[in-house]
Amino acid sequence: MALINRLRDPSDKTLAVMMLAPAFLLLALIVVYPIGRLIWNSFFDLRLSGGGEAKFVGLDNYALVLQDPDFWNATKNTVLITLITVPGALVVGLGLAMLANLPFKRQWPVRLALLLPWALPLAFCGLIFAWFFHSEYGVVNDVMRRAGQTEPRMWLLEPTWAFAAICITIVWKTSSFMALILLAGLQMIPKSLYEAAEVDGASKLQQFWQITIPMLMPSIIVALIFRTITALQTFDIPYTMTKGGPGNSTETLAMLIHKTTIDYLDVGYGSTLAVFMFVLSLCVTGVYLKRIGNNA
Amino acid sequence: MNKLFEGRSLRFIAATMVVLNGFFPAVWILLTSLKTEGELVHKPITYLPHELVLSNYVQAFADQPLLKYLGNSLAVAGMSTLVSLVVAAFAAYAIARLNMKYRQLVLTCIVASSMFPLVTLLVPIFETMRNLNLLNTYTALVLPYTVLSLPVCTLVLVSFFQSIPKDLENAAMIDGCTRMGALWRVVVPLAAPGVFTAGILAFVNAWDEFLLALSLNASASMRTLPVGISLYQGEFTFPWPVISAALVVAIVPIAVLIAAFQERVVGGLTQGGLKG
Repeated sequence: MALINRLRDPSDKTLAVMMLAPAFLLLALIVVYPIGRLIWNSFFDLRLSGGGEAKFVGLDNYALVLQDPDFWNATKNTVLITLITVPGALVVGLGLAMLANLPFKRQWPVRLALLLPWALPLAFCGLIFAWFFHSEYGVVNDVMRRAGQTEPRMWLLEPTWAFAAICITIVWKTSSFMALILLAGLQMIPKSLYEAAEVDGASKLQQFWQITIPMLMPSIIVALIFRTITALQTFDIPYTMTKGGPGNSTETLAMLIHKTTIDYLDVGYGSTLAVFMFVLSLCVTGVYLKRIGNNA
Repeated sequence: MNKLFEGRSLRFIAATMVVLNGFFPAVWILLTSLKTEGELVHKPITYLPHELVLSNYVQAFADQPLLKYLGNSLAVAGMSTLVSLVVAAFAAYAIARLNMKYRQLVLTCIVASSMFPLVTLLVPIFETMRNLNLLNTYTALVLPYTVLSLPVCTLVLVSFFQSIPKDLENAAMIDGCTRMGALWRVVVPLAAPGVFTAGILAFVNAWDEFLLALSLNASASMRTLPVGISLYQGEFTFPWPVISAALVVAIVPIAVLIAAFQERVVGGLTQGGLKG
């Protein structure tokens, strides 16, 4: 009876444990255990294709990864995509946010135009932009032809242009989400600041650098963190646009891990690659978190 | 008067730019899906279709089990939304309302889990699902998708629960409700808008996910929409009109959803984003 009463009207502590249990069980199953398992696997030669016999190889996989040109290529591509598309999306997103922040009578078309790219699956975005960049029937080359470019550009068939096309696609896809976050930040800046600056004779450009940017900093940092974490995980857009090609010029770390483990079933080596990517993500988010800590 | 006009046309141009930027891929894919194969390979390319055809839509459903993909996506996204909401609501209530130690630490732990890229955990998740014989089942995706949405759902719900006055709950308990009764009869209905917002965010997350769906549910009958549609392309062929038609079919439901609830979605995104 006492137990039933306790369950019907539990104390805060019991209730808290009961209510947090599902979340922590899930995190244990999908995050904590896999992290441990990942590190464990990385010390084994474990191929699911060859009967799945695990052979302890110590740090051999790590040595192999460091000598693997595919790993360095994928790392380079991932870092480059991050370095290009994160600032790219910030600049485009800020532009969109400032445009969207003008006082419109009807808000919904603008709001929907920012939400639609966010809700569009990355994989769809890759397919649609692959069609845009089609060398013969694509709209990009048609516009360039009208602007005077005589030779059609082989967008997805040449390494450099394929890489550029992918970066453009990622910037388009992600700048809208940035714009939404930045728009919320812009709307929290008090109008009186601009009015005071106006009275003091500050130009629009001065107002932008002295008021808008500093006041927007917290939102910018949040947007950058979210964007950087997702940029490091880039998979869907290059996978659907180029499958990593031509050659492996657009292959990212996530694609290499997927290929190694799911296509080749080489779990040991794939895990080691994932450990490297994990460390890379931790370093980047660590820097950001420290930055937030300093700001707060 | 002159200045007013200037401001207005500037605003109009600004709005047009934002709207064009957001809508042009969707519009272009819609136009492509209505063109004949012949018009599509015509050079120079045409912008508006000369002749509207629906045959690409018929083809899209005939070439691949598009309806099955749609059903799979709805089932996986729907289930993971429900599970995320229940799990996140419990956690958020405990964090927002209960008298407990380490409140901030618990919230940070849940949010920090989103900092771990699920991609890097693909291998062990694949192995776990394989060992549990869950590959090619809805569960294989529902569990990771729930974790994917847990941080944002928890953040949105924590701030909603905090905005509900505690007195309302106390009053219900004085009137004879048990603690759980008060939670169910008072807090849950008042938090409904927040639950709804968090639900849409979770749904979109699951609807969009590609890598895990591609890796864990590879069999044809279990593919979700993004995976299924990316497989319309053959080794050397890209049936663009058919892919476009399939994309339109897949984009419409989610576009309608966000169009209907755009204010809530924006609110939820910025709330989840700015507090995170």
